[in-house]
Amino acid sequence: MNCFVGIDLGSTTTKAVVLDADGRVLGRGITNSRSNYDLAAEVARTEAFVSARFNHLEREVERAGGAAALSRLLLAFRMEQMKVQLASLRARIWDEIGRSVAPALRAGAAEAVAEIFRRIDAEEERRLGESSPPPRSDFFRDAAGSAYARLAEEVAAAAGVTFDLLLGLYDKCIVAVENEPLALGFREHIGKALDRAQASAAVRAAVHASATAEFAVAATVGTGYGRARLPFPKEQIRSEILCHGLGAHVLFPGTRTVLDIGGQDTKAIQVDARGIVTGFQMNDRCAAGCGRYLGYIADEMNMGLHELGPLALQSRRPVKISSTCTVFAGAELRERLSLGEKREDILAGLHRAVILRAMSLLARSGGIEDEFTFTGGVARNAAGVRALEGLVAENYGPRRINISADSIYTGALGAAHFALRGTAA
Amino acid sequence: MSITAGMDVGSSAVKAVVMRVGEGRDEVLAHALARVRRRNVAQVVEEAFAGAVAGAGVRALDYVATTGEGEEAPFATGHFYGMTTHARGALFLEPRARAVLDVGALHARAVAMDERGKVLGYKMTSQCASGSGQFLENIARYLGVSQADIGALSLTSEKPETVSSICAVLAETDVINMVSRGLAAPDILRGIHDSMAGRFARLLQSLRVEGAVFVSGGLAADDGLAAALQRALPPEGARRPPEIVRHPLSAFAGAIGAALWGGFRREKVGMGGPAWTASATA
Repeated sequence: MNCFVGIDLGSTTTKAVVLDADGRVLGRGITNSRSNYDLAAEVARTEAFVSARFNHLEREVERAGGAAALSRLLLAFRMEQMKVQLASLRARIWDEIGRSVAPALRAGAAEAVAEIFRRIDAEEERRLGESSPPPRSDFFRDAAGSAYARLAEEVAAAAGVTFDLLLGLYDKCIVAVENEPLALGFREHIGKALDRAQASAAVRAAVHASATAEFAVAATVGTGYGRARLPFPKEQIRSEILCHGLGAHVLFPGTRTVLDIGGQDTKAIQVDARGIVTGFQMNDRCAAGCGRYLGYIADEMNMGLHELGPLALQSRRPVKISSTCTVFAGAELRERLSLGEKREDILAGLHRAVILRAMSLLARSGGIEDEFTFTGGVARNAAGVRALEGLVAENYGPRRINISADSIYTGALGAAHFALRGTAA
Repeated sequence: MSITAGMDVGSSAVKAVVMRVGEGRDEVLAHALARVRRRNVAQVVEEAFAGAVAGAGVRALDYVATTGEGEEAPFATGHFYGMTTHARGALFLEPRARAVLDVGALHARAVAMDERGKVLGYKMTSQCASGSGQFLENIARYLGVSQADIGALSLTSEKPETVSSICAVLAETDVINMVSRGLAAPDILRGIHDSMAGRFARLLQSLRVEGAVFVSGGLAADDGLAAALQRALPPEGARRPPEIVRHPLSAFAGAIGAALWGGFRREKVGMGGPAWTASATA
């Protein structure tokens, strides 16, 4: 089957989308960006093909009548991938102990690390046994890191080493693991996953059918913050603005204005009826008005980023934030808290401040036309969406506001469609 | 003669001094600095104040003066504006100073003054933390460099990188990119020092400063920044460039100025009785 790949190399995450020749989405993949951009793109692409295989499999297995068996197979497959990464991490930490830990502490550190990995392995086994294990991060760095840190705390005292020493070993090694090209593809691990999941003959047959289906990449287009560093010829690179505009058009064909609030930049884009960009404004190199603004505020308040929106929604009297700069807004937040103002009221004001910056960007790009599509991480924040709805109604009147759960893939989706159009033309 | 305290409440640290003021021989008896580090500011103010009072070994104060964001000190007698306290403190530490460049955690400001400490002009950096003390601290952390080593490392740079304005919050990605391009930490730090110094030099030039420039605030101890600042202030025509001067107590210039102004005001007003005694807050 001919397929078309779009890759969006963002500053925090790298996304890939695979399309078939009719423009249908076959699979999506995401990973955290890292200093080795080629590898980040490669991991996202591999993940997109893994998801394409599993989507294909899902259709096959549904016909064979065993969808539940498939989620177990996916879990087993993820576990096999994780084991490869864990083995790399363990070997590197082992080397690091010999290299940088004081001789008197080496035995204790080795014992503690061995115990941590024993417990991680046991937890992985248990996870496979559960019917619906708790969700966790898609990124190895986060999934393994939180387990490692939790277990390091449990075992450190007994082994006579400090928690900081153990965590330091992880911090030193995780970057190298992320930058190591590991085999994490469908064909490498599906065999072992089938055995581990004790898959039925019907599932095995379906896997065999979909594993032999060939995905031939007919074209790839790259975009995003790091696009200039992608190993593609120039004609296979498109700007984020073009890809975002086209991606939003594909998600919601009625789109005329797009607002994307990402981690490190905010874009206001106007598109025509075919999804071609007619105007845009962009804010980058400044965290105020981007997702990172709220991330910084969450850190200042010792809260998780996902906790901010729900708390801000409880506000009844939002305050007016007078600072623009993120760092100054953080200082203003501390000052207001010390004056006894309510956390939810300050947070509501901070959300409004982010959206206000976006509103001025939108105004400069040509205003807001119907329909208006909102994408990026802040589109998943209910308080951000509410602030936007209020300001849009106030300044432009009624507008249809589109928000998609998959909006993080908008840029990659647009890039994949450029790949498709490029070969059709 | 009076015994006075001066407290400079900044956004990252509170600086406190106790001084003997008057009769032509002003003297710093003790100084103390307490870092805020996400603590309640009122508690940090207490800590710095207690440190300076204990260091001086005094039981009573004739005046407790604050400056900066000094509203957090409920036991203060009076509050003075930052530009007047920094001007006065700088002159005390360096009589040749005709301008102060105060580089704090969030803002930088330049104050021009005459030989008696009268403020002639005042300029502050814009509403952005790029190039502030906090910013430099973030960069150093991403580079794995301790704050005390920043200056010395910057001075060893051989191929300084040109760094344009970088957002203090997004700096992490920029630094990762610079490191992944193979740039060395000293070259990055020197580039940032040069970029900061360029902005500070423009502040000073817009005030038409003649004579020595005294650097106060937490970043005064950074030798790399001082060297960059000297480079950024070229001679203008036949005039010699302003000389950059610092003092081991540079970080306390505001607190010293506040203590001096407090003593001056007390003499003028002729207040009777101590403003604070050891039992009052014990």
